[in-house]
Amino acid sequence: PRRGPGGGCLDVDFAVGPPGCSHVNSFKVGENWRQGLRVIYQCFVWCRTPETRKSKAKSCICHVCGTHLNRLHSCLSCVFFGCFTEKHIHEHAQAKQHNLAVDLYYGGIYCFMCKDYVYDKDIEQIAKEEQGEALKLQQCSVPGLGEKYPTWETTKPELELLGHNPRRRRITSSFTIGLRGLINLGNTCFMNCIVQALTHTPILRDFFLSDRHRCEMPSPELCLVCEMSSLFRELYSGNPSPHVPYKLLHLVWIHARHLAGYRQQDAHEFLIAALDVLHRHCKGDDVGKAANNPNHCNCIIDQIFTGGLQSDVTCQACHGVSTTIDPCWDISLDLPGSCTSFWPMSPGRESSVNGESHIPGTTTLTDCLRRFTRPEHLGSSAKIKCGSCQSYQESTKQLMMNKLPVVACFHFKRFEHSAKQRRKITTYISFPLELDMTPFMASSKESRMNGQLQLPTSSGNDENKYSLFAVVNHQGTLESGHYTSFIRHHKDQWFKCDDAVITKASIKDVLDSEGYLLFYHKQVLEHE
Amino acid sequence: MVVSKMNKDAQMRAAINQKLIETGERERLKELLRAKLIECGWKDQLKAHCKEVIKEKGLEHVTVDDLVAEITPKGRALVPDSVKKELLQRIRTFLAQHASL
Repeated sequence: PRRGPGGGCLDVDFAVGPPGCSHVNSFKVGENWRQGLRVIYQCFVWCRTPETRKSKAKSCICHVCGTHLNRLHSCLSCVFFGCFTEKHIHEHAQAKQHNLAVDLYYGGIYCFMCKDYVYDKDIEQIAKEEQGEALKLQQCSVPGLGEKYPTWETTKPELELLGHNPRRRRITSSFTIGLRGLINLGNTCFMNCIVQALTHTPILRDFFLSDRHRCEMPSPELCLVCEMSSLFRELYSGNPSPHVPYKLLHLVWIHARHLAGYRQQDAHEFLIAALDVLHRHCKGDDVGKAANNPNHCNCIIDQIFTGGLQSDVTCQACHGVSTTIDPCWDISLDLPGSCTSFWPMSPGRESSVNGESHIPGTTTLTDCLRRFTRPEHLGSSAKIKCGSCQSYQESTKQLMMNKLPVVACFHFKRFEHSAKQRRKITTYISFPLELDMTPFMASSKESRMNGQLQLPTSSGNDENKYSLFAVVNHQGTLESGHYTSFIRHHKDQWFKCDDAVITKASIKDVLDSEGYLLFYHKQVLEHE
Repeated sequence: MVVSKMNKDAQMRAAINQKLIETGERERLKELLRAKLIECGWKDQLKAHCKEVIKEKGLEHVTVDDLVAEITPKGRALVPDSVKKELLQRIRTFLAQHASL
């Protein structure tokens, strides 16, 4: 047996495995043992048809006490079911000298002579086939489940690699893997800050580190998703020296020409361009699903970042509502002090929704979202033909969230380019660590209109709750400045990424920062 | 009185269990729970704990039953409330759809 200095690994020789059980070996001498085992698996462990499920439901009870709750096992030598925890199956085994039993929940084989579950290659192979077959049939009713977390089955080359590299890494609270600086290649902090935010997006990280991208681009060296894959590998390699993202920059220049050159660029613009290119290069990842539903892309970028923005235009004459839903990757929010109208909207009177520090005079992210989702009068100069009364009328427009994305990006419109002036708005906006999007959902508006009581957020409904995991900041002026980001590492550690330099930060540092782009991820994920 | 109530409970349990198996819902719940527990890191935590126990006792001196007895309290305690809540909700919905039970 080998054991590395890090010692995360048990003293098991991977290639040989534990020694076999002589009782199983003598069982395997018997005729048709495979067939018998398969019948038990198909009828009582992993059913394939409604009929077998029905008979399983009826017959899977203990032959001694009639219950089903106590880890039911089936004798391998005769027709007998018994409780394991109540030792009914043990009594049977001893009385009849039947040494082996099958666990009817998980399919494992227990040997009463060895007094433990036993592992046999042939039996495990049969179990794997039977379970796989049943799961495949079940997939039709539960798409996505099961195949999502396949067990890693080591192949021979992998076993050799494991043998040659006996050191295992373990996650501890002082684990720094994933924290790696990025060299500035000439005003490329706009890119570095976004790369740090993206590489610390939990689900995106899981996707790339589990090697899920299958490139279908004609020339993979031009694929931005492939480059993201290698970027993730670099950033999570444990190498402490800063990474030089020249290849990424090169691909950005090729695929998003408006960002080419060494001038200063907008980090938000880069984020949107990067998501767009990634989304286009992802096409190969789910050809099957895309073919079924051409309008709805299901690539990893859309799965994570796409939300649905509902726009309700209400005719002021007939009150008819026309609704459209558009996909969105981010939400751009107006700030107080900008030239746009309808601001301020008397913040502070209502109780704070998201527990933001409500210092009088301070605007909160919730205020910005409230303003974003308020009905807006479109004015007399913008009459729209109403679909219900067929006449040109004044109308109001209201934006609400129809579907929430897994990761919500908020963009504060700090750079103002209006006809009157070009300037940066540095107003401080307070934002919370935990955000509840329930008030901004179209569904909550409907329930409000139906007169249903809007419960406060403490009602325990977590499905619309988000946690902050990255903040991008801009220091300086409209003409010249610098981007940095705060990223969350582990559950609650924060770090500041300033190009090549990464330093520890406090939650206060994060929440007191000005904020340009905020990244929140959903706390609860739904399985379809 | 007490006995008849217990019998009734047991009967109800058995009937619900039968329905869950018959419809395949039991397997779906199992898969959902498995996915949720992997997602929240429960599986990794328990795995690490199992390894500690095995290291402490020595591979040759530990059976699956020893391991189950040792880690069950911790395993139960570590299941996040949100996961329990979701499972409970699904079972409730299932029961409401099969109210004839």
